Amino acid sequence: MSGPTLALRDVCVSYGKIEAVRGVSLEVDAGRIVTVVGANGAGKTTLLNAAMGVLPASGSMLFRGRSIADDPIEARVTAGLSLVAEKRELFGTMSVEDNLRLGAYTRPRGERPGDTLDQVYTLFPRLKERRGQAAGTLSGGERQMLAMGRALMAKPAVLMLDEPSLGLAPRIVREILHLVAELRATGVAILLVEQNARAALRIADYGYVMETGTVTLQGPAAALANDPRVIESYLGAAESAA
Amino acid sequence: MDPTIALFLAQDGVTNGAIYALLALSLVLVFTITRVIFIPQGEFVAYGALTLAAFETGTFPGTAWLALILGTAAFTVDLARDRAARTPRRALRGLALDVLLPLALLAAAWHAAPRHLGPLVEVPLTLAIVAVLGPYIYRLVFRPLAESPVLVLLIAAVGVHLALVGLGLLFFGAEGHRTAPLLDANWTVGPALVTGQSVVVMGVTGGLILALWGFFGHTLTGKALRATAVNRLGARLVGIPTSAAGAMALGLAALLGALSGVLIAPVTTVFYDTGFVTGLKGFVAAIIGGLISYPLGAAAAILVGLVEAFASFFASTFKEVIVFTIIIPVLLWRSLRSPHAEDEE
Repeated sequence: MSGPTLALRDVCVSYGKIEAVRGVSLEVDAGRIVTVVGANGAGKTTLLNAAMGVLPASGSMLFRGRSIADDPIEARVTAGLSLVAEKRELFGTMSVEDNLRLGAYTRPRGERPGDTLDQVYTLFPRLKERRGQAAGTLSGGERQMLAMGRALMAKPAVLMLDEPSLGLAPRIVREILHLVAELRATGVAILLVEQNARAALRIADYGYVMETGTVTLQGPAAALANDPRVIESYLGAAESAA
Repeated sequence: MDPTIALFLAQDGVTNGAIYALLALSLVLVFTITRVIFIPQGEFVAYGALTLAAFETGTFPGTAWLALILGTAAFTVDLARDRAARTPRRALRGLALDVLLPLALLAAAWHAAPRHLGPLVEVPLTLAIVAVLGPYIYRLVFRPLAESPVLVLLIAAVGVHLALVGLGLLFFGAEGHRTAPLLDANWTVGPALVTGQSVVVMGVTGGLILALWGFFGHTLTGKALRATAVNRLGARLVGIPTSAAGAMALGLAALLGALSGVLIAPVTTVFYDTGFVTGLKGFVAAIIGGLISYPLGAAAAILVGLVEAFASFFASTFKEVIVFTIIIPVLLWRSLRSPHAEDEE
């Protein structure tokens, strides 16, 4: 397959008169982690929601060269996009295993979801221990794992992660990001949005910096991590946060 | 009151309660999935009873026309509004389900009406004609309002109720109808006389509750419907088409309503506007279950049936008043126990 798995061009999103995302372009390739870092309110979450179809947006969105800009969320999931939302959006009263099985809702009915389920349980052994428990009773880290596992059940080509470290203890953050890095080996294209720029740039291949709705800087993650402008704005103060 | 009368009243109460349970389950189902407080549920009951009565008297039921008209309208609206519906595959599917299916039902009704083919043909046909109305109504009325607050949805539901009552008068006239018993037999068990009708009602209701439990607890489609109710955005993010879930919920509700109508028609004279009060009793039960609990709603429905039966013996003029008064202490208790207003917006 030539060309990027997901390509966004000149994407704009507005809430009423306020333009939250102004002309953002980015690309994600299979087997790569691309991160979007930036301060709170820079438009990162809005960008992901627009890419998933949760929010209406203008501009072009190509998935494997085909336009998905007019597709509703369900069609994008079927095509191969998955979003792990900032608020996880789990089915709280249903069991962990039911949450995971519903993640495979768009897979062809003839396919046995058991194999994918085993893979997810191998990746997140803690979910297997809690398989019969209601999702609402899980800890913050486990919820994040369940949200990721549920997204993986759809066998996505592009996995979008919105602030997976949000509200989690540093040790759990390391564990989650380590898992994200491992997922790269499965060939999925990962688009990671993070406020925790240091941690995100450490595992990513390529990075974009967003400020007030636009991309101000972009480049290989290692170069960004050493860029004085990035260090000053996003890494300096975060010395002990990661 | 001697034990024989008490047993008779209890049987009557449980039988009616079983029907209220079906209605309460429908209301809970529709509310949890679509957030619509579905006032017109009772109209499906009346339509079910009166459509079957029409077949029995050999007249053609107007509900078959309604199904065709609503189906065609839903299909046309989809084509006009949704570009994705214009792809050949989707358009053909829509044509088959929204136009050809009600057309086939209309033809079947036309064929069956004068021939007195018996309940084995007439009951399934009645259920099919009324059940398809549910998804069409959802797509025409509630889907465009899917993101609206509960109050707006409630007002739309009242509108649908008024429209359906009016159409009921047009289709079936102002006269009441009763149908032949589904099972014309009686047994004496100890001091009590058990009627075939109550056995059918309880058997069907029990079976349906089990079937619903199996559907929602053990099938992927059922779980997807529940997931839609639990977290709408989450459901969309895993690719569950939530508007199809709403159509399915109303389809199930219409089917359960029509079935309730078929079950009460032999014991109660049903008028075009009977559904409302019957539906309200199911509603009382559903409210006792907080509009979210299936088992509580079903249990409360049996209680409503029993209270109604005994009230009609002791103070028949106040029968309805007593039944609806149950809701007051329940609401008081619920509001004291959970002080938060149930306003999600």
